[in-house]
Amino acid sequence: MELKMEAIYNKTLSATALIGFIAFLLLSLKTSPFSPVPIYGAIAFAAIMFTGYFLSNSLLYGQDSALFILACFITELGLIMLYRIDPAVFMKQINWFALGVLAFILSSIVVKYWVNLKINPLYFFAITVILLLLPLAFGVEKGGSRSWIQIAEYSFQPSELAKITFVLFLAGKLKDGRIDGVLRLAAEILAVAGLLAMARDLGGAMLFYLTALALVFAATSRWDLTAAGLAASAAASVLGYFLFGHVRVRVEAWLNPWQDVPGRGYQIVQSLFAIAQGGFFGTGLGLGHPEYIPAVATDFIFSAFSEEFGFLGAAALIIVYFLLVYRGIKISLTVKNSFLALAALGIVTLFGLQIFTIIGGVIKLIPMTGVTLPFMSYGGSSMVMSFISLGILNGIRLNERRQEADG
Amino acid sequence: MYELLVQAAKFVLIGIIYYFLYNFLKVMVVDLALDKQNPGETGFYLEADDGRKYPLFSVNTIGRASDSDIVIDDPFLSSKHALITKRGRGMLIQDLNSTNGTFVNGKRIKKPFRLKERDEVVLGDKKFTFLRRESHGIKNGSHL
Repeated sequence: MELKMEAIYNKTLSATALIGFIAFLLLSLKTSPFSPVPIYGAIAFAAIMFTGYFLSNSLLYGQDSALFILACFITELGLIMLYRIDPAVFMKQINWFALGVLAFILSSIVVKYWVNLKINPLYFFAITVILLLLPLAFGVEKGGSRSWIQIAEYSFQPSELAKITFVLFLAGKLKDGRIDGVLRLAAEILAVAGLLAMARDLGGAMLFYLTALALVFAATSRWDLTAAGLAASAAASVLGYFLFGHVRVRVEAWLNPWQDVPGRGYQIVQSLFAIAQGGFFGTGLGLGHPEYIPAVATDFIFSAFSEEFGFLGAAALIIVYFLLVYRGIKISLTVKNSFLALAALGIVTLFGLQIFTIIGGVIKLIPMTGVTLPFMSYGGSSMVMSFISLGILNGIRLNERRQEADG
Repeated sequence: MYELLVQAAKFVLIGIIYYFLYNFLKVMVVDLALDKQNPGETGFYLEADDGRKYPLFSVNTIGRASDSDIVIDDPFLSSKHALITKRGRGMLIQDLNSTNGTFVNGKRIKKPFRLKERDEVVLGDKKFTFLRRESHGIKNGSHL
């Protein structure tokens, strides 16, 4: 049966390319007069995907191809929606996709040959703090949170990179399965979450905090710490509600968006209308109205997607995200080196929580927070860093296999 | 006209998306089957030139003798030719003073040698490749 693995992967790649060609052909027909430009987009996407797949398979023998294919599939659905929303955004995003694929291969190679140096986790902590301090000192404000750094025309979100260093810090701290100095670790985690909260990136603060909690539980299996952590996060949410005006706005818009539809509830109401409009099979590509949804290329891309691909498409997308998380957890379970296993688990947890936060936000399951949907939302740092996270997961798997072979 | 086309295409697109998911379901089934593999098996195997596969256990003797774990009927092989054992997480091959020798990647081995994935093992005039179970398909190339 194992013989079929490669064949299955080839079928999924072909299916991905086929979806791209059909979707972009439709977008070509939509423009009148007929314009071939969207088709070029499909060709560019397929070229990057196949090049990346064959390059990574030949450079990285024994890699987990599923990670790359699933990520490409999600990226493609995102690119279709972005072209549909605004072709100019698509042009930028496909460059980021190419860069992301390159970063995936490079980070896999780096982690594969990662010699287990005894790096003090404190260095990772310092890097995380510096990365989070940078936007506070030199940052610009975008969409309500001060987490961007602008260099010339490019803006960059250091907190995306801080996710990885933070996970490495925690993995280094917890790799022996016990905590030396619970209070000190708690202070360090709270400092990181506090820095994010200071940049008014509360979604990010929540992600970092919950990931830390999950890793502490995975490493030590201590219920008391986990319960205390959860209680503290509940207390922090209540405090945040009374302390920060914009948290109160978000929570009120979540509890009852219909109270103030043109104002506070506008985003979430438009998102819900769009999802409802989609029905089971969607309105069809190009027949929805993503222009009514605010921030549709970034935060609310999922609503636009479920409008045009329907409930079935959106459910499939969520399943694909689940599959990515499943592959990641599988890697983390097979790794014997506890540092690498925890690092893999941390990356997967962060990834899964991020997906839950944003999809939960747009379907009004939880209050809306401004985090990106990995691989799908428009944004260079998010795209490249998501690919680097997957590259690290892939590299951890390869590292483990390399050590198996070398003893 | 465009609307009609889109209405038709949306079912096709959903169909392909679920075909993609169906294939990953198959991947998961293969994953689970691999996890349930025989406890004695190490997950490594030797693949002969003619495509036959010999799964490796923690101790494997290779030779012409019928009580070998891997019996290879070939006049160039000694009756007890070579031994492959599990050591740590890898596999070790050693020659049992055979007449024609054991070659790994073209070199005759004298001391026990730690095998790496895709190493080429030659016993007599039979050629084998040392592989792990799940990397099966990759060596054989595409089946599409």
